[in-house]
Amino acid sequence: MKNSSPDEPSPGRLLATPHSRRAFLKGMGIAAGATVILTSEVSAQDATAPAEQAVKYYGNGPQKISLKINGTEQSVEVEPRTTLLDALREQLHLTGPKEVCDRGSCGCCTVLLDGKAVTSCMMLAMDAQGHEVTTVEGIAKDPKYKAMLEGYYENDGAQCGFCIPGFVVRTAAMLEENPSPSPEEMRKGLSGNICRCGTYTKIFESVAAAAKGGAK
Amino acid sequence: MTINNNVALENNRPRVDIRQKVTGAAKYTADQYPAKLMYARMIRFPYGKGIVESADLDAARAVPGVLEVELDTSKTYEYQGASMGHVAAESLDAIDDAIAALKLKFDYEKPRVRQRQLFRSVPEPNESEKQKLAPVFEKAAAVVEATYETQVQTHSCLEPHGSVADHRGDSAVIWGSTQGTFAYLDGIKDVCGLPPAKITVHNEYVGGGFGSKFGPDKEGTLAARLSKKYKRPCKAMLDRREEHLDGGCRPGSIQYMRMAVDKNGKILGGRMYMASSVGYREGGGGVANVAGRIYDLGTLVRSDTEITLNSQSPRAFRAPGWPQGVFGVESMMDELAAKIKMDPLEFRKINDVSERRKRQLDRGAELIGWKNRKPDGASPGRIKRGIGVASAMWPTWPTVCSAACDIHRDGTVEVRSGVQDIGTGTFTVVTDVAANELGIDRDLVTGKVGNSEYPRGPGSGGSVVSRSVAPAVRKACADAKEQLIKALASHWKTTPSEVTMVDGNFMFGEKKATWKEACSVISGDKITGNGRTETGAEGSSDGSSDCVQFAEVEVDTETGIVRVVKIVAVHSAGQIVNRKTIENQICGGVAQGISYALFEQRILDRNTGGMLNDGFIDYKIAGPVDIPEIIPVLDATEQDTGVRPIGEPATIPTAGAIANAVANAIGARVRSLPITPAKVLAALEEARKGATA
Repeated sequence: MKNSSPDEPSPGRLLATPHSRRAFLKGMGIAAGATVILTSEVSAQDATAPAEQAVKYYGNGPQKISLKINGTEQSVEVEPRTTLLDALREQLHLTGPKEVCDRGSCGCCTVLLDGKAVTSCMMLAMDAQGHEVTTVEGIAKDPKYKAMLEGYYENDGAQCGFCIPGFVVRTAAMLEENPSPSPEEMRKGLSGNICRCGTYTKIFESVAAAAKGGAK
Repeated sequence: MTINNNVALENNRPRVDIRQKVTGAAKYTADQYPAKLMYARMIRFPYGKGIVESADLDAARAVPGVLEVELDTSKTYEYQGASMGHVAAESLDAIDDAIAALKLKFDYEKPRVRQRQLFRSVPEPNESEKQKLAPVFEKAAAVVEATYETQVQTHSCLEPHGSVADHRGDSAVIWGSTQGTFAYLDGIKDVCGLPPAKITVHNEYVGGGFGSKFGPDKEGTLAARLSKKYKRPCKAMLDRREEHLDGGCRPGSIQYMRMAVDKNGKILGGRMYMASSVGYREGGGGVANVAGRIYDLGTLVRSDTEITLNSQSPRAFRAPGWPQGVFGVESMMDELAAKIKMDPLEFRKINDVSERRKRQLDRGAELIGWKNRKPDGASPGRIKRGIGVASAMWPTWPTVCSAACDIHRDGTVEVRSGVQDIGTGTFTVVTDVAANELGIDRDLVTGKVGNSEYPRGPGSGGSVVSRSVAPAVRKACADAKEQLIKALASHWKTTPSEVTMVDGNFMFGEKKATWKEACSVISGDKITGNGRTETGAEGSSDGSSDCVQFAEVEVDTETGIVRVVKIVAVHSAGQIVNRKTIENQICGGVAQGISYALFEQRILDRNTGGMLNDGFIDYKIAGPVDIPEIIPVLDATEQDTGVRPIGEPATIPTAGAIANAVANAIGARVRSLPITPAKVLAALEEARKGATA
């Protein structure tokens, strides 16, 4: 044996040393002293904080902040490292957005931020202040999306269903930009999301029906 | 049991739980947040093989919010992701902080990770095998010798494995992401220290299983143990890396074959030597033997072996052994046909053991446009088109399943069985079969599954659930309906045999009662009927499912990129219950097959044993842009009166059909999955060299 006794950099990927974003983001916080959550590079590009937000300083312990979610201001207590997804699920128990990859590569945690689709695992909760966050629960209640949801209902757009809330939110954002996508545009528009059951064929039929139904 | 043929069972309505799934209202195990929840996670070994040299347990235990830390530093760990212990804490953040505070140091050795390097040569056949095979090869018009290879594929269920356990002292409520309600219950009862009747396992919604989620596993027992100890609910879910490392995988394989064929296209026999690459200890391998099930392979001498790797052990993965076995054999089928210059479709029909599948071959050939298929490599231009085919089947075996049916006074019906819906449409099958048997609208029926308090049924393994829950539900409903008719007859002062049901109404002479009116005569709240099947195979006798799939692909000969253009999937699944859900499942099986054929592969680092692609960023599974037009064809006849398997067969032949289509397109064969651009280019290069040599 005696190959190494790694501190860092590690030759393998050390599971037991959390290179998780949770730890990474916390590390950033410590490095900055009093944490300054600016328009962070790790947040989704669309999620630029308003200018007045950029000068607000936070410590690195839990902080009370207010988030506007599905039209209602809600108070949450988050650390600088807390992702928007964790705030939604762990604190508000809004469980439509799912944690699957925790790296922005599956789309299952997709929410709307000011109407644009973002993966909420890739965004800090603090960065969502001052924005309108819409989860699938909000979409489900909004009459504006009735035709889109009907498209999914009528075409059996789910198997195990774990990825579907993410697809639904992504579809809402896609149809907003392009109300009548071609099959190819549809595939590209949904390409940030994956489904392990392989429900894609029925999802395409759902989205096509939604587009035809005039969903926005 | 009588099968109700008065009303067509088949319907085309969406699954009954579609709204809950689309709106995010469906609550999975991962979505459970009971009050006073604590969290637990395992501490995982980061190398292929090695030991823990040091750990600062005191520092980890001192992290605020940490409840306990346990770590076994005495063992040699044999795969990345092996559990060394656990942390329990008030929050996931505290768990991460505790693991960091451990400041773990390790020592590791070079692991066993590459199946091809570890594969010892094909052993010489022994004397009796030689004697057996001698006439086969003497009579042969052609012999093909080839070795096929398949990769390790991880299950990658989107909902991770995990559990939320709430031990309440003299009872327990447990949410488990499991495809086996009762396997879970049986596995957890001793940990809870409670009789099964005092434990309720909930698995109403399960975010995929594919064979990897039966018993409670380490995470389930950990949550139950800690909940009991701390007298509060405990949640233990894996993360994505843990899913890839310890959440299940399909074993890899190396398949050596030497097969002989006569000039008429009849396979004479040959030799197969099959190696499966498994986990750190033997077990869990296996390449399906299709001889006699798909093709008559003549005189066959076959032996199997396993190669151990420093990795997790394989788990059952949707048709264990079959996608890899069919990829190998179907590749060989095309190579044999090519050698005797026979059309691969004709060649299959000569050797197939199923008349039904031969008809399916004709039907699929027409839909894919087989008559336009060009000779191998004859497609012109840079981007070449090809068509390929592969076949499969799925057997059945006796399965015991129970169900109960409550008819309420208000006319509503509740049907329960402790089977589960892992995306397979079980809620819908239970509901639709009940509505059909009772002769009422689906909207009056609530199907209930995924709860250990319901009558016992099988786990979702071997594609047995639909076919066994359907007769159990029928019997339960028939029992309840018989009691209802008895009550109505007594109300009408006649005998039950005088009461008939016409167009959903009960009749006796001039008397008529709608379903709801009939139910109103029930004394008490409800009537309960019970049903049980010992075989799970009522209906027409032949219990197996047959299928063929055709693939059309485009191969870019400059980049090596394969794009699937179209898949035609012809499947028999007995009597169809719900057309939408079954088509959905077939298309899904095809999508998984495409993913297996072209993209997925676990890659372990040869020095550390660490998985290099342990997330969805670099462990690629098929996404929306990779999905072609998929045409599911349900091959159901009037003779098909029983429900038959579909979950597993749907994914078996896809990779073989794609491999054959690629070979047809480019005139060179990739004998290894996944069919990556690099392998396509290498095969083309080899063919070019062969042509000029």
